[in-house]
Amino acid sequence: MSSLELMLLAATVIPLGSFLLLALAGARLGKPLAGWVATAAIAASCVLSGLVVVRWQGMDAAARAAARSAPVPWTVLGDVPLEVGVNLDGLTVAVFFMVTFVSTWIHVFSIGYMAGHSDEIDGRSKFHRFFAFLSLFCFSMLGLVIADSLVLTFVFWELVGLCSYLLIGFYFHKPSASAAAIKAFVVNRVGDMGFILGLGMVFWFLGDLSLAGAARRFAEACGDPGSALRQAGPLGLDMATWLGLLLFCGAVGKSAQFPLHVWLPDAMEGPTPVSALIHAATMVAAGVYLVARIFVLLTPQALLVVAGAGCITLTLGALVAVVQTDIKKVLAYSTISQLGYMMLGMGVGAWIGALFHLLTHAFFKALMFLGSGQVIEGCHHEQDIRRMGGLWRRMPVTCATFLIGVLAIAGAGIPGTSVGLGGFFSKDEILAVAYSRVYGDGTHGARPHGSAAPAAGPWAMTETGHRSALTHAVPGVEHAQASAPLPALLFWVPVIVAYITPFYMMRCWWLTFMGRPRDDHVHAHARESALMVVPLVVLAAGTLVCGLVLFRPLVAEVAPAGLLAPTVDGHELHEVHHALMPIVGGAFVVGFAVAIALYARGLSLAAAIARRLRPLHRLLEHKFYFDELYGLVLVGGTHLLKGLCDLFDRIVVDGIVDALSASTVRLARFSGRDLDERVVDGAVNGVGRTTWELGGAAGSLQTGRIRLYILLAAGGVTAMVWLALAAGG
Amino acid sequence: MTGSNRLSIVAAVLVWLARAGPVWARGPRGPGPADWIGIELEAVMFYLLGGLAAVCAVGCVLSSRVVRMALFLFGALGAVAGLYLLLHANFLAAIQLIVYAGGTLVVIIFGIMLSSASAAARYRARPAEKAAGAAVGLLLLAGLVTAVGRIDWSEGIAAAPSAPTVDGLGRALLTTYLVPFELSSVLLLAVMIGAAWLAGSGRK
Amino acid sequence: MGSITLMHYLVLGALLFCCGLLTMVVKRNAVGILIGVELVLNAANVNLVAFGRYRGAGIDGQAAALFVIVLAAAEAAVAIAIFMNFYRHLTTVDVDRGDLLRG
Repeated sequence: MSSLELMLLAATVIPLGSFLLLALAGARLGKPLAGWVATAAIAASCVLSGLVVVRWQGMDAAARAAARSAPVPWTVLGDVPLEVGVNLDGLTVAVFFMVTFVSTWIHVFSIGYMAGHSDEIDGRSKFHRFFAFLSLFCFSMLGLVIADSLVLTFVFWELVGLCSYLLIGFYFHKPSASAAAIKAFVVNRVGDMGFILGLGMVFWFLGDLSLAGAARRFAEACGDPGSALRQAGPLGLDMATWLGLLLFCGAVGKSAQFPLHVWLPDAMEGPTPVSALIHAATMVAAGVYLVARIFVLLTPQALLVVAGAGCITLTLGALVAVVQTDIKKVLAYSTISQLGYMMLGMGVGAWIGALFHLLTHAFFKALMFLGSGQVIEGCHHEQDIRRMGGLWRRMPVTCATFLIGVLAIAGAGIPGTSVGLGGFFSKDEILAVAYSRVYGDGTHGARPHGSAAPAAGPWAMTETGHRSALTHAVPGVEHAQASAPLPALLFWVPVIVAYITPFYMMRCWWLTFMGRPRDDHVHAHARESALMVVPLVVLAAGTLVCGLVLFRPLVAEVAPAGLLAPTVDGHELHEVHHALMPIVGGAFVVGFAVAIALYARGLSLAAAIARRLRPLHRLLEHKFYFDELYGLVLVGGTHLLKGLCDLFDRIVVDGIVDALSASTVRLARFSGRDLDERVVDGAVNGVGRTTWELGGAAGSLQTGRIRLYILLAAGGVTAMVWLALAAGG
Repeated sequence: MTGSNRLSIVAAVLVWLARAGPVWARGPRGPGPADWIGIELEAVMFYLLGGLAAVCAVGCVLSSRVVRMALFLFGALGAVAGLYLLLHANFLAAIQLIVYAGGTLVVIIFGIMLSSASAAARYRARPAEKAAGAAVGLLLLAGLVTAVGRIDWSEGIAAAPSAPTVDGLGRALLTTYLVPFELSSVLLLAVMIGAAWLAGSGRK
Repeated sequence: MGSITLMHYLVLGALLFCCGLLTMVVKRNAVGILIGVELVLNAANVNLVAFGRYRGAGIDGQAAALFVIVLAAAEAAVAIAIFMNFYRHLTTVDVDRGDLLRG
């Protein structure tokens, strides 16, 4: 193992040590100390990964390749070897540094935040548990970043899911929090089911579970027209496409993409630093990271699905964010929307742009979440932005740093120059690629690679050229379809949403910090905590810097060059970017202006408009009724079944009972008591008991009765045994 | 059948056993009359022990008193221990008796006694459940037996090991199976602590 | 009585397994369910040892069976502890009463 790999490995394991220490002796360390232990651990990781970044920058391509050592064999599954190693490349280094850096400052913030929030339960403080979970999360997330095989990825994938569950439900005595935790867990399970099926397909069809190996085998299999992967599967898609789509399912769950986005807003029940770290900056971005890693396993059709899911998600998120009044919910929906941008970027082939957006987004979204945490903490757990206002006087630093975040997410910058904040580069790059995919003439592939004229700004760093999936290096895979232009919606919808984003972000910021205080009580108590301000300033500085200099070249160098034909090179992208300027360059100005115009005089004007557009407002306020729909279909379906059984009970069986009792009355007139009591009562009771048994047996699919579950499981096994026997001839 | 008659049969069996020797202690030997006897004896022993195990298992299902179930379980476990002897797994047979009969079963009996208020109480399953259970159980049994019956199992009996297998087992546990062995010790420790805590929590 | 083959042991194992399963299904007493689990584990053990003997798998079958016995003992201890708690909370060992998770 090279020293770089060892450093990354050490940086991954240190938080695990901190977790073990806090889990075993956290209570003894006491309130501030436990937090500082966790912070020190992740800070050490951050320093290590910073060193790795510096050394990585100073190496040439040959040295970088040499720094990667062969993976260590772990075990053999059937005849598929399972190897573990560190996936050392520019992307890993960049994401690793982002995660440790953001985590470190969120840890610092948490010490201040949790001091007032870690309610005691049963007389025991939960403070150290929070930091234990946070450390465990850091370990899992870093492991996910450096994992070089799909199996390892899956292991850490589930671990971050577990941490997310634990931390969303941190206030588990609150029913809403524990319900949100369960919801997040269950919804993610749906996606992970697809992931694990996809893993099974990789195992079966490719026979190599390492990322590099699977990509190689995939390319080989797709080149061979007789291979099993080229067979047609369900819905007219070939197996190769299904493989990618199933793996993508995992990303859909974790990155809260449509249709599994419903868990993320509820996840805001967790403590705010958790929302910042897990549900904005790192874990939810893991889905995009996964897609980036399996990008080469996605066929053009699969990529189209990815782009479609992203497009729907970014629209949904932005629209709902417009009407939210809870400051954290606004940020949550904006996170969903931004994740949608990243997925769209992946789908249209803006591999670099999407990852670049992931990195910049981590900074400014963490910054804004921490800002909201500061506001919530300062305002005594008030989260409703309608009751805030005028806080800039009380929280000047928070106000200023939040504004930087707002500018970054809105993509503010001076068009035509390289002066701008995060989103200015990353979001526009995604849009530029989308544009060239939609309106490109398909001749990009012929353009000699490397003719890019070095241009100013970040684009200058794209010597490697931008590559998209226009022509999957795999010869013959749906080539005609692959180079066909994408639907125009995939460009225009994100462009329109680029106008909405600045609007709702400015609305949130303005209502919180500007204008007249709308609630004197909140305003009077608002204050800033010194410990929590420092991370805000640091992250704001990071937001300012990272868009300009950091990360993009690191990411760009890893772009799956060998497997994708160069289509849109740096030069052309630069041109496209210029061409786009009139379309989206001024979006943030327009959005800001509209928001300020609407809310400068308080809420009344907006309320009037909302009244006018009542049905639309309703629809948005209820988040397009997704929760209700899922409740209706999934939960309701079960209830329907139960209801049907109940109905059967009542109409058929009760009918018989009623008829019997009616005839009893008749009979009683004829017969003596003897007959009545012995025969008829017995019959009625018997029928009654049968009713009860029938109802119990039919309506008790979810009885919580362990024995019934055993019986059902045994029945399933029996069915499988007989099926196998029948299949065996 | 008179008493003397019965005695003579027992004596004959004993003589037979003494001549043949315990079947599991025999080393590989050339074919001879003793071999035939050995095979027959193995069959007799198998049917005896297997029958006992089967009867006890069925008894477990049918009896409604939990104490009786525990006794039937004891019978089944003992019979299975005998089968282990027949399969040349002497050490395992001993462990079966010591751990199961001496440990697990005692734990179960304690469990019954400690919840003694309801030890005698019989909770009857509903007839529908019984019917469904019986159907599933019989179907599964039929399926498994069919599956087993499809294959010809007659060939390939390993040569009987000449020495008791404790030696080999011990070696295997400390070489091939070292990691699971150590893990199981950790598991037992965790179980010890966990069970004590679980059973004790609530009492305070 | 022909010679005993692997099949005999497998059939016996299947029988024990189904009996254990049935015990688990029809007993409402928690301890009864535990007894069913023990039967199932024993059925698996019979198969393991028999395969080890007849298919020349060396000592592996016995080693696996040994681990199963260890796990069974551990499981019994924990299960009994859980039942004790169950009994303390609900003053019964009727598992049908433990249906807090019903839908």
